[in-house]
Amino acid sequence: MTSSREKILAAVRANQPAELPLPTVPLFEGDDSVEKFTAILQGIGGQVVEVTDVARLPEVIHGLYPTDYRIASPLLPEANVPVDANTSIEVLAGVELAVLQGEFGVVENGTIWVPEANMLHRALPMITQHLALVLDRRHLVATMHQAYARLTSVGSYGTFLAGPSKTADIEQSLVIGAHGARSMTVLLV
Amino acid sequence: MSHSQRSDIFLLDAERTTWHDETLWFVRQKRDKAVYATPEFQELRQLASDIKDHTLSRLNFYLQQFEENARRNGVQVHWAADAAEHNAIVLGLLRQHGATRVVKSKSMLTEECHLNPYLTQHGIEVIDTDLGERIIQLREEAPSHVVLPAIHLKKEDVGDTFHLHLGTTKGNNDPQQLTETARQHLREKFLAGQVAISGVNFAVAETGSVVVCTNEGNADLGVNLAKVHIACMGMEKLIPRLSDLSVFTRILTRSATGQPVTTYTSHFTRPGEGKEMHIVIVDNGRTKQLGRPDFRASLKCIRCGACMNTCPVYRRSGGHSYDFTIPGPIGAILSPNIDMRKHASLPFASTLCGSCTDVCPVKIDIHTQLYKWRQVLGQAGEIPASKKWSMRLLSRVLSKPGMYSLGGRVARQGLRLLPHGLTHAGGYNPWAIARELPEPPRQSFREWYAEQAGQ
Repeated sequence: MTSSREKILAAVRANQPAELPLPTVPLFEGDDSVEKFTAILQGIGGQVVEVTDVARLPEVIHGLYPTDYRIASPLLPEANVPVDANTSIEVLAGVELAVLQGEFGVVENGTIWVPEANMLHRALPMITQHLALVLDRRHLVATMHQAYARLTSVGSYGTFLAGPSKTADIEQSLVIGAHGARSMTVLLV
Repeated sequence: MSHSQRSDIFLLDAERTTWHDETLWFVRQKRDKAVYATPEFQELRQLASDIKDHTLSRLNFYLQQFEENARRNGVQVHWAADAAEHNAIVLGLLRQHGATRVVKSKSMLTEECHLNPYLTQHGIEVIDTDLGERIIQLREEAPSHVVLPAIHLKKEDVGDTFHLHLGTTKGNNDPQQLTETARQHLREKFLAGQVAISGVNFAVAETGSVVVCTNEGNADLGVNLAKVHIACMGMEKLIPRLSDLSVFTRILTRSATGQPVTTYTSHFTRPGEGKEMHIVIVDNGRTKQLGRPDFRASLKCIRCGACMNTCPVYRRSGGHSYDFTIPGPIGAILSPNIDMRKHASLPFASTLCGSCTDVCPVKIDIHTQLYKWRQVLGQAGEIPASKKWSMRLLSRVLSKPGMYSLGGRVARQGLRLLPHGLTHAGGYNPWAIARELPEPPRQSFREWYAEQAGQ
């Protein structure tokens, strides 16, 4: 195995061209309004709900989802499925709604950064039937350039999440709910 | 068989060809809409191109920086010189964990290495989890597009396949219901997954992370439920900095499908607690391509598929007509590097219109490379005799004005006098198989010009 490594690196050294410059990427600015973020996210199948006061979160959740849902969340006292990094797959598979904290949103594409620390379990945002992300409306950036500038580290695992899981693999017909969450709602606080 | 012979098979179904053509053109139009809505898109293309050029020029450094950082993150890094070594490494890891099944998300590299048949031969059950890939896996077909693997199929085909393999009602061709069936079927597989294999969209040298982009969430679901994650990547997937992702995530999906971004853009840096993560870095001809100055830019490709969607030849011949893992214009410049004789017809599967180059988000000079491959193939004697001799004849005629003028006169008279059946005989004039020759003019431009001068 070491020999392949040496062989490949030697071939790369022999064949790579003379060094070319690495450009500086500008911090392209743009619209960072809640309105545009909402429009883009709705355009890709997400839902945006304005929550005027964090204290109203449980009430808003009850209004949006059936009350008998199995919920996993570090943010709601009424979450009834305890989940952590060691939770079994069987328990995870039964989660109907996960309510998690999103760190910040990117207006140009409606995506939200969710680091592992906010997920309870790495698979939770995908295995849950429905996903709700709580997002502070002041935490919006215009473009991906500003998003990565904001991330000092991507941690062990983290994902930019944009809307529900979807596919168009059958005749280009868009179907929401491929393997991940069937719906994705952003709760703006 | 050549590309044009395989295209004939695709073209037998005219209705389907038209559908294929129009559907991919629709995707191209969605791309345009997304691109025009991004004011700095052309600047981003230039940045992406420059970042990739720089990375290739310091690939030796970045490969080692990436390896060092990944190892520091607790990731095991493997190197494979070719497809056989890649496959052996993956099988070795599966055996080491006593795994008998593996869930796999999209990876053109593993297609290139023919990993699935290799693992199957060795008693491993391989489950492709991307919906399009699962469909073609059940049908035992190859993907026909890098982003839309089942674009050659109609919903009726998928309905039949699911009826046969997943027990859906015969005649149920509803995409929504078929997708739901696949969701249920694949969920079982995800939950029972022991090892997950993923591809890699970008590998960040400064952090040692790999980034995987999907819309379905299948890569994340598979990887995050399995004990072991094996990420397989071609060595050209490297980019230097985390901030470079801002450029590539902005251009990838806009170019591919016209979406602003994929649903999941996931950064895998360290294995989860008590789990393992492996990265296999594969050469398989890439260092050779790096050493070809005319063709090395093909290594900048980020597999968005934009060149396929726009290509008038790809749209009307289908991905399978290329008989190579990566079809379309980019496949036609990558494939001769792997096997020049086998893929000799692919650089000719183009009108050289340049549309591929225009849409390429990393500014690969695709049509120029197609033209250059034709020269290389001509030099190496890898073009069909009929083409070779007709080109020689043509070059002699075109280099002698007297002969050219005589030839023109003979042709104009000949077309007028000879019977249609002879001038349009497909045997020696294949151009006329589906076309009418133009009506011959009375005189040539030179003759007309001479007349004017006399007046």
